[in-house]
Amino acid sequence: MKILITALLTFCLKPALALAQAIERFPKPDFESGYQRLLLETPVPRSLALEYFDVFVLWAALSLASWFALKSRSRRKMFGVMVFSLAYFGFFRKGCICPVGSVQNVSLALFNTSYAIPLTAIAFFALPLLFALFFGRVFCAGVCPLGAIQDAVVLKPTKVPSWIAHILGFLPYAYLGFAVLFAATGAGFIICQYDPFVGFFRFGASFNMIVLGASMLLLGTVVARPYCRFLCPYGVLLNWMSRLSKWHATITPSECIDCRLCEESCPFGAINTPSEAPPLDRRKRLRQMAILIVLLPLITLGSGWVMSRLSAPLSRQHFTVYLADQIMRENADTTLERSEESNIFRASGVTTDELFQEAGIIRRKYKTGSWILGIFLGLMLSLKLINLTIHRRQEGYKTDSGHCLSCARCFSYCPIEQVRRGEIDPDELVSIQQSLN
Amino acid sequence: MEESKKAQLLYSIAKRVAVVALVFATILSSLLIVNYIQTKSSDPLNSAALNRLMLELRDNQDDESLKEEIRALDLLARKAYFVNQWQLRVGGFLLFFFVLSFLIAVKYMSSLSSQLPDFSEGYNPEESWENKLLARKIIIFAGLAFFAVALLLSVLSEDDFIDNTSAGSDIQLAAQSYPDIDEIRSNWPNFRGPEGIGLAYESELPTKWDGGSGENVLWKTNIPLSGYNSPVIWGKKLFLTGADNNIEMVYCIDTDTGTILWETEIKDVAGSPAEWPKNSKDTGIAAPTMATDGVNVFALFGTGDVACLDFDGAVLWAKNLGLPENHYGHSSSLISWRDLLLVQYDQGSGGRFLALDTSSGETRYDIARNTDISWASPILVNTGERDEIIMNASPDVVSHDPATGKELWRVECMEGEVAPSLAYADGMVFAVNEYAVLVGIKLGDEAELLWENEDDLSEVSSPVATADDVFVATSYGTVSCFDAKTGERYWFEDLPNGFYSSLILAGENIYLTDMSGKMYIFKAAREYSLVGTCELGERAVAVPAFLHGRIYIRGIDNLYCIGE
Repeated sequence: MKILITALLTFCLKPALALAQAIERFPKPDFESGYQRLLLETPVPRSLALEYFDVFVLWAALSLASWFALKSRSRRKMFGVMVFSLAYFGFFRKGCICPVGSVQNVSLALFNTSYAIPLTAIAFFALPLLFALFFGRVFCAGVCPLGAIQDAVVLKPTKVPSWIAHILGFLPYAYLGFAVLFAATGAGFIICQYDPFVGFFRFGASFNMIVLGASMLLLGTVVARPYCRFLCPYGVLLNWMSRLSKWHATITPSECIDCRLCEESCPFGAINTPSEAPPLDRRKRLRQMAILIVLLPLITLGSGWVMSRLSAPLSRQHFTVYLADQIMRENADTTLERSEESNIFRASGVTTDELFQEAGIIRRKYKTGSWILGIFLGLMLSLKLINLTIHRRQEGYKTDSGHCLSCARCFSYCPIEQVRRGEIDPDELVSIQQSLN
Repeated sequence: MEESKKAQLLYSIAKRVAVVALVFATILSSLLIVNYIQTKSSDPLNSAALNRLMLELRDNQDDESLKEEIRALDLLARKAYFVNQWQLRVGGFLLFFFVLSFLIAVKYMSSLSSQLPDFSEGYNPEESWENKLLARKIIIFAGLAFFAVALLLSVLSEDDFIDNTSAGSDIQLAAQSYPDIDEIRSNWPNFRGPEGIGLAYESELPTKWDGGSGENVLWKTNIPLSGYNSPVIWGKKLFLTGADNNIEMVYCIDTDTGTILWETEIKDVAGSPAEWPKNSKDTGIAAPTMATDGVNVFALFGTGDVACLDFDGAVLWAKNLGLPENHYGHSSSLISWRDLLLVQYDQGSGGRFLALDTSSGETRYDIARNTDISWASPILVNTGERDEIIMNASPDVVSHDPATGKELWRVECMEGEVAPSLAYADGMVFAVNEYAVLVGIKLGDEAELLWENEDDLSEVSSPVATADDVFVATSYGTVSCFDAKTGERYWFEDLPNGFYSSLILAGENIYLTDMSGKMYIFKAAREYSLVGTCELGERAVAVPAFLHGRIYIRGIDNLYCIGE
């Protein structure tokens, strides 16, 4: 049933898609020769009112997702919000603007005074974080179109061994760091550039991006939401906010009875199972902890220094530095064939002095930025190692406050939840409890 | 039971739908990939057929049937491209439909066949701790490996940008910056324009003015000290020199207003002769034209004084090259290449070819030239394979590598005391001297003398060339056109006054000033076609500068800016 709704909604929205394309702020001229204008791959600019409407829709979707995760505890309703978000934010709005990419807009605004960030971009950045701070990662559950399209292809999810998940879990930090660096220095928005799913939303992308997206979706059939769990840079921020959330989705509406029925319910590995004290001697653990804490500043600063050494190749991701480098090589070796960018620049009237000066300024920014990036990565690595050394005793099955996407999948597995819904008799619950004892 | 049968039936239907959808999706994907590969390998707008026709059109620009054929082929190519785009789009939509159908069918199948959880394996509470330990170990090793790789990369990666900070200033790159060929061609940096070959990269130029009445004369400025050198321009600044009464002066004039922005005397140059040489009045001391590299300007005088000034008129360095042994007076002009100032210094006791560091004046190389005295100026061209600086003198036309001074080739073809500079076009160099010969030399690893002609030879004025023709003007008033490849003369015109100034090719026209200051404008073609004549109102021998849609003409006393 829910799958039918997916199909219907998507295809019903197609005419709306075409209509939206026609609503352009700057309509193009009509050609009398019968020339057919090409359909654009990138979204056309919209009126401000419609942009604010998008913010309203985002807020409404987040609110609904929060309600469905915490109050009505309904996977079906959450799925409905997810389908709507996929259709609206994904196919209708063509994946732009999205909170995942808005990290870059904010980074650019913070470090470039000439960039005026739209209020709507700030809203898209802040609203999901705000909701995560109070209600957990409800954005991931039912609003993010990238998550929704991955969710749609989950067929036979296999459990990723937790040690692999721990290791891959570091990638989003690195992605976030690099994305902020490149956005802040004006090199580009790599999150948007390498968004594997936007090509599907827009029915058009480069061959490589289509292949990347298809591969990601294919992987997603067996590894649930691979992008969300192991790449999404915005997920890092949501993770932090979610850990502080006042209210968070729980598997059971009351006390956990350790029935283990929810153990395999989460395809994302976001359920913490009961654990006891580790077999390792407490003194030994404390010693390991102390070593890591002492090494923390060393790792952090060392990482900062290493990244700063890479500032030169990193800076070449910025077009101005790349062009200056190109011009310099061509000037030094006249046998080198001039590139198209070089020819365009040379015909522009801008002097090479001005170009080299600008490139030098950007290089200096990269020097500083690389230090900060390295320190950030070193700090995250150290904290990760410390976290892996800490082992808390836990009773019952609980959602991981940082990693749980609040998707509501696990609710129906809980017998207490089933009693709450009236799906099973309270007596059946008692017999389950007795069988466990 | 019935429910079970119904469930089985639905499962079976879903399974069939899934299989069919998967098959169609697979076929469609394959077709789209093949389509993409085909499109990628053949660029419809860059087809061999179209390119061939375009090449044909270059030589037959009036062929209307050819143009129609190109248009038709182009339209066909564009239609094919957009049809392909439509196919891709429709294919994408269909693929989306089948993939969606497949997903819906599979999910429906899984909803009909849900399984109970398997608790046959007991729960291992130590498993999570063991996983953590393993993860920690791997992260530590991976971190160390990344550290090592990053260090290696940072050492291996080339970094030509060297930071050079000083308090409060931006980064200055250690890499020397000098103008590239497009910047050079956007200015008028030396005698006879960029590269010194008499070519103006301007097409919209005035063809009508009158210095006497002021028609199309934007401004006129008196230059206090006279000189036969020609103006050079970079940006909005025009430079020239004047000399008289033991004063050597460099002037900077605003190209928009004609205002003299500054004038700087070159004096107290170490080694400068106490008494000026007694040069011919037709040459004077300020005959060599200045040069500029966009950062500084360079001036050379008949005393051997050479100086470098910044754009604000401050002398950065000055030195003396030795008093030239020259009975008329030295007049070869300067030209710069990257960070070198190149000087053709031919004189009675043997010539020299010098390269001075533009920032310090330090001599980078000083090569003896086995030549007679000359007054020609070097040209600096890029042949497509390398830069060459080529000089005209007797007995040889010689080419050097400007970076090192190394001789590249020489052709023995000249006689007498040479004054005209060379012309260059389409891989050919043209040299001329009165009472000697006009020659065409084909460049290559070994240059080859292709032809000689002894008609209408110039004494002072330098020729100009197109890919097809060479144009020569003489001091006795003739202007001639020769075939660039064969030397065959197509036409000559006998005009009232002689020419010292050189021909300048601008677009389709050639500009040539006679000694009375009258400008002849004619077509660069194999038939003489006069576009117009314009009076300056005073004598002129210098070569005008052509820039920003204007013409800057130096008369004997005044500098004129002609524009519409």
